[in-house]
Amino acid sequence: MKILIIEDEIELLSSMSDYLVSEGSLVETACSFFKAEDALSVYNYDIIILDLTLPGGNGLDLIKLIKEKNRHAGLLIVSARNSLEDKVRGLDMGADDYISKPFHLAELNSRIKSLVRRRHFSGLTELVFNELKINTETLEVTVNGTVAEMTKKEFDIMLYFFVNRNKVITRDSLAEHIWGDSLSYADNFDFIYSHIKNIRKKIELKGGKNYIHNVYGIGYKFSDR
Amino acid sequence: MKLLEKTNRTYLLLSGTAFIMASLIIYLALSMIFDSQLKEKMYDSKMHVIQSIQRFGIILNDPPFVEVKENLKGNSEYEKNVDTLIFDSAEKENIPYRQVISSSLINGKYYQIIIRNTLIEKSDILITIITVLGFVFALLLLSLNILNRRISLKIWKPFYLSLDNLKKFSLENSDFVLTSSGDIEEFSQLNATLEKLTKKIISDYQSLKRFTEDASHEIQTPLSVIQSKLENILQFPEIKKEQAESIQAAFTATTRLSKLTKALLFLAKIENNQFEDSEKINFSIIVSNQIELLKDFIAEKSLTVSVRLEDNFILKSNYLLTESLATNLLGNAVRHSIPDGNIHIGLTNGSFRISNTGAPLKVPTEKLFNRFYKVNMTSDSPGLGLSIVNKICEVNNWKLDYKVENDLHTVTVTF
Repeated sequence: MKILIIEDEIELLSSMSDYLVSEGSLVETACSFFKAEDALSVYNYDIIILDLTLPGGNGLDLIKLIKEKNRHAGLLIVSARNSLEDKVRGLDMGADDYISKPFHLAELNSRIKSLVRRRHFSGLTELVFNELKINTETLEVTVNGTVAEMTKKEFDIMLYFFVNRNKVITRDSLAEHIWGDSLSYADNFDFIYSHIKNIRKKIELKGGKNYIHNVYGIGYKFSDR
Repeated sequence: MKLLEKTNRTYLLLSGTAFIMASLIIYLALSMIFDSQLKEKMYDSKMHVIQSIQRFGIILNDPPFVEVKENLKGNSEYEKNVDTLIFDSAEKENIPYRQVISSSLINGKYYQIIIRNTLIEKSDILITIITVLGFVFALLLLSLNILNRRISLKIWKPFYLSLDNLKKFSLENSDFVLTSSGDIEEFSQLNATLEKLTKKIISDYQSLKRFTEDASHEIQTPLSVIQSKLENILQFPEIKKEQAESIQAAFTATTRLSKLTKALLFLAKIENNQFEDSEKINFSIIVSNQIELLKDFIAEKSLTVSVRLEDNFILKSNYLLTESLATNLLGNAVRHSIPDGNIHIGLTNGSFRISNTGAPLKVPTEKLFNRFYKVNMTSDSPGLGLSIVNKICEVNNWKLDYKVENDLHTVTVTF
């Protein structure tokens, strides 16, 4: 998968790039409006990540260019301005998703994967990990072909693990992905633990292995290693 | 005290003093005049009596005013003034008289001559003076008052106009102007100064707001860098437990900072009226959705929640604001409720009511809606939730109430 990241903050750019490269994507970067223009006119990308606040021009103008030159690319907008107008305008102009700073890299990755699924609908609705299979259309998790019944939240957690496999995912990141803003009203993260426990139980009940590993009490890693 | 009242009081005090002094002076002067005239008149009478004896040998007698008799034992001339009271049988009262008793040697004989004259009663004079002067002063005061009122109304009119305008002053209203103040220089100066002052206040306020907004934005990017770097470090396989825990702590702190700036930004935006789009909103659905989202936290604390929602409770407002109001209030109830506590949620009769059992408040309730006000200082929450709720109610003209009864904290929003 070929991804172009347009972001003026070099350090953030490198973090995003590192994470996505380790996920097996081919990543190119542009740190200014003009470099982005150059890159866009030469290559085609599957996914473009665009920071709206760029030196040298408004990111919204770049959307037009992207729509001209790279019609088939999935477009994910990043903005420090957590403002509705930017979001609405961006989405109106053809962006596919919007993420506001600061964000978890796992969340970014999950959004990209979801975007890819939506873009290339056929053949990508099923994600496989050893004996586990997850279907994003029917919202089913199967172990060795038998369905393990899961709640919507449990399914969302599983999907987050699937797309961020072999990565350490912090509880913050997971909780924010599932519970969003209402999370700030929780006193602790114990409720995540009970969900994870239920998922493990359900998978083991169907004869699956436990791939969800605790990482020093700070998060989890979905891995068979 | 009002301006007019103050001047009136001063006038009253001044004229009162003048009135008393004038009465006194007039009284004294009149008394003196009366006395000297009386003296002259009685001297004339005495001369008349003496002359009539000298020339015609006639002794005039007109009691009680003139009494003359030969004084055989008399051997010297004298004259003395003795005031006396004589009973008037007609008026049946004692009447004061001035009497001059003298002894005079006329044609070789001594005569005792008593000349009397009724005295005008001093109290009569005083009463007359006070009545007349009082009337004059009252008239003067009244006319001054009327005049003053008229002048005040006219002269002070621009002042009151400016005052009315100032009362309408609001920080949000950036095009505030004081209307012109007529031709009185002092008022023009006052208005000019006030206008400068209000413009300064408004521009300071605006730049403060802009600063909050810009700062909140600018903080997000460095925060993203920190967070993403921390997340990258976590991916190194050789990382140790202690390192992981430190990273986690740093992570949590950046999340807190990010939430704080987002909340501040949200507040600034509400104040900037950036949520003006209003639409018909089914508040019942919003509330039940929020309750659904909080389910995990409710279960975690073993809270008992009773919900009474009117179906299709429609509000006309901004969607984001309304949702934020519900999220904040419901979230607060869950967060501040004691474990195994109760939460009652009611949406009926035009009001939204949320109660939760919680520890008693140790602080005045008014402070609860202040920014960064925390009941529990160790809490991770920035303490902006209730001020956001307060602001939302303010821009929508909704009434926000808070009360505590038997450890039951109730927040009511009346639409």
